[in-house]
Amino acid sequence: MTHEKIRLTQTVKGAGCAAKLAPGVLDKALCGLDLPVDPNLLVGLERADDAGVYRVSNDLALVQTLDFFPPMVDDPYSFGQIAAANALSDIYAMGGVPKTAMNIVAFPAKTMDISILRSIIEGGLDKIREAGVVLIGGHTVEDSELKYGLSVTGYIHPDRILTKKNLLIGDLLILTKPLGTGIIATAIKAGLAGQDLTDRVTLAMTTLNRDAALTMDEFPVHACTDITGFGFLGHLAEMVVDSGKGVRIRSANVPMYPEAIEWASMGLIPAGAYNNRNFRGAIVDFSSNVSQRIQDLLFDPQTSGGLLIAVAAMEAESLVTALKAKGIDTAAIVGEVISEPVERIIVE
Amino acid sequence: MINELDCRGLGCPAPVLQVRNVLEKESPAALTVLVDNEAALQNVSRFLEHQNFLVTAEREGGEFRIIGTRNGGVIAPEMRSQTPVEKERVGVKKIMVLITSAHMGHGDDGLGDMLMFNFIKTLKEMGPDLWLVAFVNSGVSFTVEGSEAVPFLKELAGEGVQILACGACLVYLHLMDKLQVGEVSNMLDIVTGMKLADSVITI
Repeated sequence: MTHEKIRLTQTVKGAGCAAKLAPGVLDKALCGLDLPVDPNLLVGLERADDAGVYRVSNDLALVQTLDFFPPMVDDPYSFGQIAAANALSDIYAMGGVPKTAMNIVAFPAKTMDISILRSIIEGGLDKIREAGVVLIGGHTVEDSELKYGLSVTGYIHPDRILTKKNLLIGDLLILTKPLGTGIIATAIKAGLAGQDLTDRVTLAMTTLNRDAALTMDEFPVHACTDITGFGFLGHLAEMVVDSGKGVRIRSANVPMYPEAIEWASMGLIPAGAYNNRNFRGAIVDFSSNVSQRIQDLLFDPQTSGGLLIAVAAMEAESLVTALKAKGIDTAAIVGEVISEPVERIIVE
Repeated sequence: MINELDCRGLGCPAPVLQVRNVLEKESPAALTVLVDNEAALQNVSRFLEHQNFLVTAEREGGEFRIIGTRNGGVIAPEMRSQTPVEKERVGVKKIMVLITSAHMGHGDDGLGDMLMFNFIKTLKEMGPDLWLVAFVNSGVSFTVEGSEAVPFLKELAGEGVQILACGACLVYLHLMDKLQVGEVSNMLDIVTGMKLADSVITI
């Protein structure tokens, strides 16, 4: 079959590189828009959170998100799994339970065998099923480049919404997956990543954040987000801005793929990492002992990255232990919420 | 004439890969790279610095001219084109053999020479797990003109095994112009090889 030989990452410009519109650019498009007001809209566009939340009744709210992108791996089934896990992640990061999903597809039918699309959708369905979600429809357009993702709707209790904006001084920060998938996607596209590493990273990207979300539900978690295109520091910055608090990160404790560190020093860094640094670098203070390549990793755009959880300090070790008991071996305490400097990130 | 590479209009990782190709094929002492975006400027600069080039950059409107001048050293092994080798390496271990002397073991040097020669001759029995053989100190004598080991090492190289010969050692022993097999290498290559290998055997 000819389609076996197609490397999906070679068919698109962006891949891991530059798929997400640069954050500053998006702000220019969105700022000042006259948005409709509704008292039942609990989390909306102006909050820039992981997902939107709309109250249906006093004990039920809908949590909604969507996410889609060009392929960052060559295998269609894996791409489907990764895109679905990534889309579902926003619901988990809000503390919600995903219920329904719809496919979003842009497909180059003139240049690609339709069996590739089937494999992608099967991969997505695999994760949708694992999440206990039903697929209720979708929309497909013809495009010059392949893109796939999901729109996901879930349930959440209106009083138990976990946003980015509730850091408390003294909280410890836990990250559940290693950083470096953007750099590794660039290396995959360059044909430099071996099969073993590709398999390991694919496994991490296809792993749902569901178990992490279920585990943290039993702990005094104050804020949470998932790490995706804006990178670790970009998403952390969203938690810190307007919080009235600061954050100290210990870079040596942040889980990272060692191969990505090596490739970072060789310049295999996606453009998104530079965009992320340009947008948020101004509120980050790096100690002189944090090397350039570690800084690059901290800004590296992630696909289907882990959860970043702010939890009461007393319970942080127990939460890490509980996450590891669920097989989330890479979970680690990476920093703490501090009173000063206000709304800055110190990386040591 | 300085090599000039036009990478304008290319998204990452293409500029870095093009520069890498030029370094591999032509080993230029200096080159100029034209790029038209900030990410490519940063990435190409980092790559060249990592390959031991001194790098300067000039902005020309929305474009950048990156000038790299070689500062000694060769391309690190993990940046060589690995795709075909890597594909075959699925499920295969990476064994690195570091040969630090012309003799195997301590005792009579004549005996030691013969043992080491036999060792090199027999290395191919490791099969596809053998990934890299690096020669340092008097070990480099096996890679140069006059050594009976050269045809066996060429055979290994033909199988895709990387053969590295320590450049400083070749220079020290005045053997640089006699190298017959393998690539002139440096400590960075050897240390990187050790890091990437599943196991390292030092003789």
